[in-house]
Amino acid sequence: MRIVIAGAGEVGSHLAKLLSNEEQDIVIIDSDHGRLQILDSKYNLLTVAGHPASFRALRDADAAHSDLFIAVMPSEANNIVACAIAKQMGAKCTVARIENYDYMAPANIDNVRSLGVDHLIYPEYLAAQQIVTALRRTWVRQWFEILNGEIMVIGVRIGEQAKMCGMQLKDFAFRHRHFHVSAIKRGHETLIPRGDDHMEANDILYITTTRDHVDDLLSITGKIEHHIRRVLIMGGSKIAIRVVDMAGGDFKFTIVDKNRGVCDMLAQKCPDADEIYCGDARDMDMLSDIGIEHYDAFIALSDSSETNILACLTAKEIGMKKTVAEVEDIQLINQAERLNIGTVVNKKLLASSRIFQLLLDSDSSTSKCLALTDAEVAEMEVKPGSRITRALVKDLNLSHDLTLAGLIRDGKGMLVTGMTQIMPGDHVVVFCLSGAIHKVEKLFN
Amino acid sequence: MSSASRIIERRTINMPMLVKVIGWLLLIEGGFMLIPAVVSLAYSEPDWIAFGASSLLTLGVGYSFNRFIRPERTSMGKREGFLLTALVWVVFSAFGMLPFLVCSSRLDVTDAFFEAMAGFTTTGFTIFPDPDDLSHGVNLWRGMMQWIGGLGIILFTLAVLPMLDHSGGMQMFNAEVTGITHDKIRPRISQTAKSLWMVYVALTVACTAMLWMGPMSLFDSICHAMGTVSTGGFTTKADGPAYWGSTYVYLVITAFMFLGGANFSLIFFCSIGRFFKARENVTMRAYVGIIVSMMLVFIIFIALRTGVNGWEDISVYPLFQIVGVMTSTGYCAPTMHLWGAWASALFVPLAFFGACAGSTSGGAKIDRLIVLAKYLRNTIKKALQPNNVTTVKIDGKVLAPETVDKTIAFLSLYCAVIGTGGILISCLGSPMVDAFYSAFSAVTNLGMTADAMGIGSGISDITSCGRWVLAALMLTGRLEVFTVLILFNPNFWHR
Repeated sequence: MRIVIAGAGEVGSHLAKLLSNEEQDIVIIDSDHGRLQILDSKYNLLTVAGHPASFRALRDADAAHSDLFIAVMPSEANNIVACAIAKQMGAKCTVARIENYDYMAPANIDNVRSLGVDHLIYPEYLAAQQIVTALRRTWVRQWFEILNGEIMVIGVRIGEQAKMCGMQLKDFAFRHRHFHVSAIKRGHETLIPRGDDHMEANDILYITTTRDHVDDLLSITGKIEHHIRRVLIMGGSKIAIRVVDMAGGDFKFTIVDKNRGVCDMLAQKCPDADEIYCGDARDMDMLSDIGIEHYDAFIALSDSSETNILACLTAKEIGMKKTVAEVEDIQLINQAERLNIGTVVNKKLLASSRIFQLLLDSDSSTSKCLALTDAEVAEMEVKPGSRITRALVKDLNLSHDLTLAGLIRDGKGMLVTGMTQIMPGDHVVVFCLSGAIHKVEKLFN
Repeated sequence: MSSASRIIERRTINMPMLVKVIGWLLLIEGGFMLIPAVVSLAYSEPDWIAFGASSLLTLGVGYSFNRFIRPERTSMGKREGFLLTALVWVVFSAFGMLPFLVCSSRLDVTDAFFEAMAGFTTTGFTIFPDPDDLSHGVNLWRGMMQWIGGLGIILFTLAVLPMLDHSGGMQMFNAEVTGITHDKIRPRISQTAKSLWMVYVALTVACTAMLWMGPMSLFDSICHAMGTVSTGGFTTKADGPAYWGSTYVYLVITAFMFLGGANFSLIFFCSIGRFFKARENVTMRAYVGIIVSMMLVFIIFIALRTGVNGWEDISVYPLFQIVGVMTSTGYCAPTMHLWGAWASALFVPLAFFGACAGSTSGGAKIDRLIVLAKYLRNTIKKALQPNNVTTVKIDGKVLAPETVDKTIAFLSLYCAVIGTGGILISCLGSPMVDAFYSAFSAVTNLGMTADAMGIGSGISDITSCGRWVLAALMLTGRLEVFTVLILFNPNFWHR
């Protein structure tokens, strides 16, 4: 697939790197020569220097013949203009990153389409969704629902007290038939486990299950579900505003920000926030003034990943039941997860989830995708005649870096075993390590 | 795999993977060797056994590298890229010399390796005094070595081996392709390599066809086309193209040497109808400009000093020779020995700077000449007006100061390599003029010996130790110095 990425900022560079590793044809446009040079020397892609929303640069990048055009510049207006130009030139599918719910509202979506923007990425919105889910399900790291929850993928960290600790995977599968351990994240590594792999304490397991059995997982993993009521947010970022907007009715939010001006702005923009304080959320005096002991959850959304991680650690010590940290440096995510931060939010990963979804299924919105730090979970619709339907799963000789976890047939979720025969029309949940998503695409198309 | 664990792994060079990739490349080389074997068999020459056996050995080694070495990880970084690129050229020459060791016109190891390296690096030095005596198989293999090496062994493998189509392949591309910056023409490295090879194949086929239409036989046309487009300069006759004595042959070879010396990405863009790319390119303009102005100088000198015995003396021959030297092909025009010292002197800067980057030619490349000229102009300007803020602009774009620094560093290193090489060869017992001239000719991949200029006696006077030095110089010149010299930096090996 030929993919043109406009803007080599954080998200753009991340996408370029990821997609180029997925063996896609990547052209990336930016006006900053230095940035392009770094990308050009490291990754297998083509760079074009020029303003990404200019006709000249788009022509140089041959946006007319692109299958996917992704505009991820800092300014949403530029993104929309770039998409509009690319679409007019003949790009098949365009995606713009936005930072305003206005464009996504159902009433306006047709107008946006007519401008030439086919899909929107709104990382802050996706991040807010993830945070709200994390507040509702305190015991999980990741919660990924497919088709209204018929199949769920749950990322959960197991402690030493968990019953499954030290168990071999085939024994676990024998005893608990309704769960499929699809991936294990151990230290720096994510692996797709086989039958003779063990589960160890402090692993993060990605378990696939059906709706009826989710609650059993709590006891198996030895987790307790907490009910969250009062939430403290550090940093009045865009994500904070969206979180409050999305779930202001269910939780009581308190926002703390160091900047007076931001606090004043929050007071106007966030009517649903319970309280807004101006100060440093890492300052103990400040926290006891607020009455920290009455809070259940702590969300760190400041600009600095390190600050967020450290603040969450402090909050854990004080006795918060759930902590969420925004960690924008991908390298730090693994560290954060090892330090037992409840949930880690990363806008780049969320944006790439959305792009992978388009990559796998550019014409419909039936499939969902979730990007982890070095693996992806995708929901794929099986097309008639695809390779995956040709034999039983055990006879397909699937590559070792991917696994089929579950499927939904006629609206009913079930897990996949070696004896399963995949049928056209099924929705299958696939786990694959980074760099293997193009293999998934070949299997299903 | 997360980035932290990748960094830990990168501390050591991934040798098993390197050997495995070399195995792949040897399979390709062994496959190529079958072609001269078949040709020899068709001409019923005994050399088919030499080629068949060499090919089997090469294929066998390649296969066993592939079969028995299982790397734990497949990732290749910058260091692996440099090392592999340099190694591949040595390994290719080492196996490419096998036929010379056992064929009907046998060579010892020194000469065989020298001949193979001169072939792959498209230098065009030759040990054989009279290629007429060689079998068809040997002549074809000499041509094919040049042809494979012309655009680059790595570039060829990038086009055909999908397993290199990742960032490791990128590093190899950067280590092998010539020029200050390495322009990609399509998003993936394998596509870029394929497009460039398509251009190369098309040029070779066209050149063969046009030579065949003239007085040459098909076999000679193929060999000369491979020597011309790759700007190598091997020939099948002792006299070279002069054997045919045909103006047509000179014109065709001149045209294709010119194309071989042009930037292949520009030829690619022209082939898809984007001619403006070539028209606006500063290097391309300079390339043509230098040829035209040199032509005028030569016409004046020949008319005044040498005398004119026919219209070719002031048209076809000087043009043929100028383009031949600039593109580092090294074919000789029939009247060249009459010209004398002024011509030999003028050829030195021409060969030193060579033709365009991204072509098959050798030399330091006109691109760098332009940067050097603009940089020097700026320096002189600054001596007068210290507050003047100057930049080096190429094709309307300002070059980053680091790029300019790197270019200047390259040129100094290039001179240093030539000088060191010349001193070494002299110390190893060869006459000084021959030593320096052949060192210069090896680093620039020109392949003309001093006797062609009438100032020395050529390869025969270089001692066998000197020949190994020349082989190393040819490789250093072909890989544009950095790729080879970087291997001698202690930091490369332990960090």
